[in-house]
Amino acid sequence: MKSRNLPLNKRGFNFEMIMWIFTRLSALAMYTLLLIGFIGALLMGAREQMNFADVMRWAFMPNPSHVINTNIPDIAPWTALFWQLVASALLLVATAHGVHGLVVIADDYIVTSNGRKIVRLISMLMMASTSLIGLYILWTF
Amino acid sequence: MNVTLKVFRYNPDVDKKWHYDTFNIEAQPTDRVLDLLEYVKGYLDGTLTFRRSCAHGVCGSDAMRINGKNSLACKTLVRDLGEKITVDPILGLPVKKDLIVDMEPFFDNYKKVLPWFINDSPLPADGKERLQSPEQRERFDDSTKCILCACCTTSCPSFWASDDYLGPAALVAAHRFIFDSRDEAAAERIEIIAETHGLARCHTAFNCTMACPRDIQVTKAIGELKMLTITGKLE
Repeated sequence: MKSRNLPLNKRGFNFEMIMWIFTRLSALAMYTLLLIGFIGALLMGAREQMNFADVMRWAFMPNPSHVINTNIPDIAPWTALFWQLVASALLLVATAHGVHGLVVIADDYIVTSNGRKIVRLISMLMMASTSLIGLYILWTF
Repeated sequence: MNVTLKVFRYNPDVDKKWHYDTFNIEAQPTDRVLDLLEYVKGYLDGTLTFRRSCAHGVCGSDAMRINGKNSLACKTLVRDLGEKITVDPILGLPVKKDLIVDMEPFFDNYKKVLPWFINDSPLPADGKERLQSPEQRERFDDSTKCILCACCTTSCPSFWASDDYLGPAALVAAHRFIFDSRDEAAAERIEIIAETHGLARCHTAFNCTMACPRDIQVTKAIGELKMLTITGKLE
């Protein structure tokens, strides 16, 4: 009997499907990064020195400026390179995930092929500019 | 029991806008919505227009929105709906008259997935049948139950938004042939359904599965097609 497997180039594994998978995986990545921020904050003493809102704020964007107004006495561990990388990863993944979500919804409502291309282009520009502004803030302040 | 039946009415020759007509009917709890519509057409208003054929849940002609839910009028009992029943045409397709919609966009999408058996290989040595094991048949058994009533496709938010989207019924038809061990055009079909308006447009709303009068696990079938694009496994 013939093999009942389709080779990679004949199984419809195209850009649409890659982005479909990306959206699922990026959602999981966001949960993971949020947990890293949340657990990291608790390990660094947030339980005694922060209220829950501040902990969540840190978890969603682990930026040292978010702990300046809290009761954290020693800000050093919160400004480590590791947290800048976590924050950057979260920013990039969340922006790409969100913008792709917008594109998917826009694809439902825009019926012309050119209209879709224009919206995709605008969305990509929006994603790039938002990511760059975010990275600038994370790495310079 | 006395039933208040509200029916969507639209006659393009007379009406500028659709409206509802209300009928009070004495009905049995075991009557079907189709019985009520037949009564209205036979005794109260002969101009009421709707599709029906077998009247036993096999032909799929009388799909309509009954109290907001897509179902077949011939399979929906009055006792499950209560004394107030509202009947509308299925959504996402142009209304032609009353409860009749233009099914062409639906069937156009259906045809796109090549919903027929394709096998150009020579017949087996005995010249008779292309044999299939019970397990191989089981693989696509659920999707063979589709009667093309359009309940699933017209309950799908992605299809409401754009009828470019193939829709659940077309994807179920693709599933039926792609996973058939005797068929040889799986690659051709998967290429068609993985296009911009295919698989990726399914947002897993599950409306299709809820609406299917044949209890086909539509979202599961679409999920299997998505997995196929990743794994390539047809078994």
